[in-house]
Amino acid sequence: MRRAVLAGIALALSVAAQAADLDGKRLFQSRCLMCHGPVGMGTGLLSRRMKPEVAQLEKREDLSAAYVERAARVGILNMPPITRGDVTDAQLASIAQYLSRGKP
Amino acid sequence: MRHSSSTSTKGQSHLDGRHSPADGVTLAKALKAMTEVVGAEAVFATQEDRDAYSDRFPIDPHRHRPYAAVAPTSAAQVQALVKIAVAHRVPIWTISRGKNLGYGTSAPVVAGSIILDLSRMQKIEVDVENGTVLLEPGVGFYDLYAYLQTHKIPLWLSVPGNSWGSVIGNALDRGLGYTPYGEHTRNLCGLEVVLPDGDMVRTGMGAMPNAPSWQLHKYGYGPAWDQLFVQSNFGIVTKAGMWLMPQPEIVRGFDVEMEHMEDLEPLIDALGPLRREGVLQQSPTIGNWFRAANILTTRRQWTDQPGSLSDEVISAIRKQFGLGWWGVSLRVFGRETVVQANLDILEKSLRAINPMALKPFTWRPGDAIAPTQSGWMGVPMTFAMQSANWFGGRGGHIGFSPVLTQSGKLAMEQFRRTYARYKEFGMDYQASFAFGERHMLNVNAVLLNLDDPQFMQRVDPFLRTLIADAREHGYGEYRAHIDYMDTVADCYDYNNHALRRLNERVKNALDPAGILAPGKSGIWPAAYRTQARS
Repeated sequence: MRRAVLAGIALALSVAAQAADLDGKRLFQSRCLMCHGPVGMGTGLLSRRMKPEVAQLEKREDLSAAYVERAARVGILNMPPITRGDVTDAQLASIAQYLSRGKP
Repeated sequence: MRHSSSTSTKGQSHLDGRHSPADGVTLAKALKAMTEVVGAEAVFATQEDRDAYSDRFPIDPHRHRPYAAVAPTSAAQVQALVKIAVAHRVPIWTISRGKNLGYGTSAPVVAGSIILDLSRMQKIEVDVENGTVLLEPGVGFYDLYAYLQTHKIPLWLSVPGNSWGSVIGNALDRGLGYTPYGEHTRNLCGLEVVLPDGDMVRTGMGAMPNAPSWQLHKYGYGPAWDQLFVQSNFGIVTKAGMWLMPQPEIVRGFDVEMEHMEDLEPLIDALGPLRREGVLQQSPTIGNWFRAANILTTRRQWTDQPGSLSDEVISAIRKQFGLGWWGVSLRVFGRETVVQANLDILEKSLRAINPMALKPFTWRPGDAIAPTQSGWMGVPMTFAMQSANWFGGRGGHIGFSPVLTQSGKLAMEQFRRTYARYKEFGMDYQASFAFGERHMLNVNAVLLNLDDPQFMQRVDPFLRTLIADAREHGYGEYRAHIDYMDTVADCYDYNNHALRRLNERVKNALDPAGILAPGKSGIWPAAYRTQARS
């Protein structure tokens, strides 16, 4: 029984549901936070080039949506590009909106 | 002999890039047919897409550039795509999440292949009572960890140093973690596989429809096929069962530092018997000082001299971070009374070899887990990839990982040979010695400086030299970057390459069109033989 219940939850989290989810904050947490969270590779490397308190992307005030999208798609320094199979264009646009706080 | 050009592993400067035999018109036709299966929003064929699906830690970034990528969302779509590839005779290369950094990332062996990107297949089905999970390939370690946390399921992952990738993909490439479940391929139990003709099979008990034991019994009846689809190009795994570790009552252990490079031998000889006996159920990994330090700092903070780091610089870095020449984190998991008994035995063995530091560790459910403890506690992490920035700019790493025995003496000899070669080629030496239950993997990393073309020119001959040296002593690699799959496969040459001949007989029987991942693990379909000879 437990298995069936959890399988139901799993289906609810399946790709169709995720693809439809365009909540930028939630997408950032599930697709970006592994590197851009408090102890991720991205935060660690960015903190070598800027003040550690703003090395986490969510704390930045200077990000534009266009910059976030380009950085993700072509990569920067040691950040690999994020493929469109991994994060769709619509999902990336939502993430960029979230990080740029509405700045184009 | 078609592999005669690479029979000698030493001194060869480059593998010839092999290209898809399909011409541009054929590839375009195949991609159009694939688009009808998955929809235009799941087909990626711009120049930027091709770059994004190329190798990110490459010796030559252009050598393995794919033609396009296609992202199915179901096994039925995978079957349809495979049939299209067969009909058009175009090579496809499967990735789970495509984060296999150090081994080729998303890139195919054969340039011009179409990538089957399974990132969007993300179903998770947990059997809490039995401690198993049935996963699709797009589920990453972070996804599964979040799922278990969200649903408060007391089961633990084992995670690799780069946990960005797929749980299944890592197990299918024989990746490693640091808990008692650290040999990830051993956790596989039951696969669903699309074969290279589009047929579908379920292995083990999965061959019996509705069997409740698909994820419980690894063998089923008759031959057991799971490992046939590991590090191979015989099928596309669309679901895999995996065993997860029940949350332990307690975790205890020691973080050990050994002062001198000669201490590797007694350390291995102290741990080997405990691992084989089962006092240590975890697969501990001994790392050198550099493996810890290159995450924390960059080279130019210490020296501007080219070539390998001097002993003076090494001493200064070790002093700064309090590192021994070697370090290892040992953990004992399970019921408290058993853990305590094993810990006492472990401590006695460690004190007998005079460690420079022996720092105790204890964790109980409810305790916070420090980020530095992630690996031993099954918490996904990415910070170890900060080593890519060792030279201060764009970097990466390629592994050299021969399979050794658990003999301290023989490991010490292999270490000395390898370290001498690192110095000869002017490389900074990163090494680890990872215990299996009977064997030991000597996982070395060659850190890349992608901003220095002269440096990069030394990498390929260096790796070929290391492979040739190891081969002389009967040490072959357990896993390889796409540039070295042929070279490593060549080392396994008993009875005139009987293993490769067997692999290729199986390959040609299952994949007569030769479409699935040609060249993976050095296994080439018949269609590529002529090209490889030329």
